[in-house]
Amino acid sequence: MRFSRLLSRWQGVVLSLLGIVATLWLAASDQLGLYIHPRYYGFTVIMAVLAAVLCLAAFAFVPGSTDEDDEHEGHATPAPRGRRWAMLGGAAIIIGSAIALLALPPAALSSATVEQRELNSGSAAVDAPDLVGADTAAFTVRDWASLLAQNPSPDDVAGTPVDVVGFVTADPAGSADVFYIARFVVTCCAVDAQPVGVPVHFPGWQEQFQTDDWVEASGAFIRNPDATGATPLTLLPETIEPVEQPAEPYVY
Amino acid sequence: MPHPPVRHATRTGAPTRTGTGLVIGAGLLLAILSIRLFAPAEFGAALDDRTRDFVTLSISVVIESLPFVFLGILLSILVQLWLPEGLLLRRLPKSAPLRRMVLSLLGVLLPVCECGNVPLARGLIMRGLSPAESMTFLLAAPILNPVTIITTYQAFGWDDGILVSRILGGFVIANLIGWLFSRHPAQSELLTPRFQAACERDHAHPSTASRFTQSVQMFARESGAMLPALFVGSAVAGLIQVAVSRDLLTTLGSDPIWSVLALMVLAFVIAICSNVDAFFVLAFGSTFLPGAIVAFLVFGPMIDVKMLALMRTTFTTRTLVIVTAVVGLSSAALGLAVNYAV
Repeated sequence: MRFSRLLSRWQGVVLSLLGIVATLWLAASDQLGLYIHPRYYGFTVIMAVLAAVLCLAAFAFVPGSTDEDDEHEGHATPAPRGRRWAMLGGAAIIIGSAIALLALPPAALSSATVEQRELNSGSAAVDAPDLVGADTAAFTVRDWASLLAQNPSPDDVAGTPVDVVGFVTADPAGSADVFYIARFVVTCCAVDAQPVGVPVHFPGWQEQFQTDDWVEASGAFIRNPDATGATPLTLLPETIEPVEQPAEPYVY
Repeated sequence: MPHPPVRHATRTGAPTRTGTGLVIGAGLLLAILSIRLFAPAEFGAALDDRTRDFVTLSISVVIESLPFVFLGILLSILVQLWLPEGLLLRRLPKSAPLRRMVLSLLGVLLPVCECGNVPLARGLIMRGLSPAESMTFLLAAPILNPVTIITTYQAFGWDDGILVSRILGGFVIANLIGWLFSRHPAQSELLTPRFQAACERDHAHPSTASRFTQSVQMFARESGAMLPALFVGSAVAGLIQVAVSRDLLTTLGSDPIWSVLALMVLAFVIAICSNVDAFFVLAFGSTFLPGAIVAFLVFGPMIDVKMLALMRTTFTTRTLVIVTAVVGLSSAALGLAVNYAV
């Protein structure tokens, strides 16, 4: 049986298997959070297992599966042009998917995407937490970012203790003394990620940290020492420690 | 991409062959797993950040959509092989406009996301639904289903008529498209030759294999049609994400006309699932006018990069160009109307 025949019959099952193995491995190694919102974990794993059963059943019950395999690629009979392109395209999709889904190590979004999607552009609309009476120790980068986006009076916020985890990204306004501790807010999957961040006043940060390093910073908000700066408040850190990237790098 | 049609073979595997098939399948599964387990971690270090983010974004669309596509294929198998013949379709009203109206509400019973609806719509066409009717279902179901309505309500409540405009807009546009295409004299010309051939074969040579074997064959066939489209669509969606600057879109937000067009472009490129798109666009609520939000919420579930790739498996390019144009113009008109009315 010709390779093109084999490909057209098995392409779906092979692509399914690539997706299923990638999904289940991510789930088993606790890395699904790099790509999708936790509310989908259960559904995603259940559907992957069901589809895996169907794929194996396809190998067992779709007729002609066995005798084709031995002749695989053996006969390079000239195919009509359209069919050859379809075959090349089909093979390219399989190889490309295998590389992207399985050979490359999983990765969270990086600062390249922060530059591409404006930092803190959408957070103002999301309900900001109330500072009065709140347990600010549990505030994430997102909470602080949405609070700052409300333009609170600096007197109300200055002095509030802050402890946040995020990755380092340069100040989009270009100030050399400020960097942002940023996270991505994810609604559904990484495609809709929106970067939020808290400005940190730290002259010379470039010598200690690299963009995309994960850090935990604690300190307090102060009035921005640079009166012409983009934000009226910045975080003055007491300590900044490098940390491992969390299993769920995004906030929800 | 034209593939030679898969032959509808009728012989079933003997027990030994079934065993060999299973061994081959398990072997392939192990081979795929070993790529994952033994790929060197340095493999990714060679890529720059932008390329890596492109890969991450594309993979996230695949991982997010794949379970919905599998669910859609399973429902399609259920409708075609396991439900009593005509259970769904025979009970539809005789009058064509009424039929389409009922079909546009079918999403209430089958709350699958838009990518799962494509295999389901294919199954319904195989079962005798006309392409125009299936199009009505395909466009309406992602909006007129309980999950979408609840999440939109949670995100916006009754503010600015966003929820009502979304529901009514989705219903009207889907039925408009259905009516438009129902006037086409040769319905089958709306379908790709490959899918037409599959339908004809299905009618001409009903399979004699057991229902279980047929289900498995159908899974292999439908995943063969859907997954290449999904994977290519996801890669295109990821590529557009890293190529199109988000700043440009958000600076257009306060203009009544540009804000509508900007969010429609965003809906097209982001290809987000209709069940949760309301939460996503909520973050843009302060920068964009309500009409733009409505246009996003109506246009996005019907047409986006990923959906066009999936629908191309079934409908001709010409059909999809017309659908995109009509849905786009109607959504824009709806968005503008909301902007000027509120």
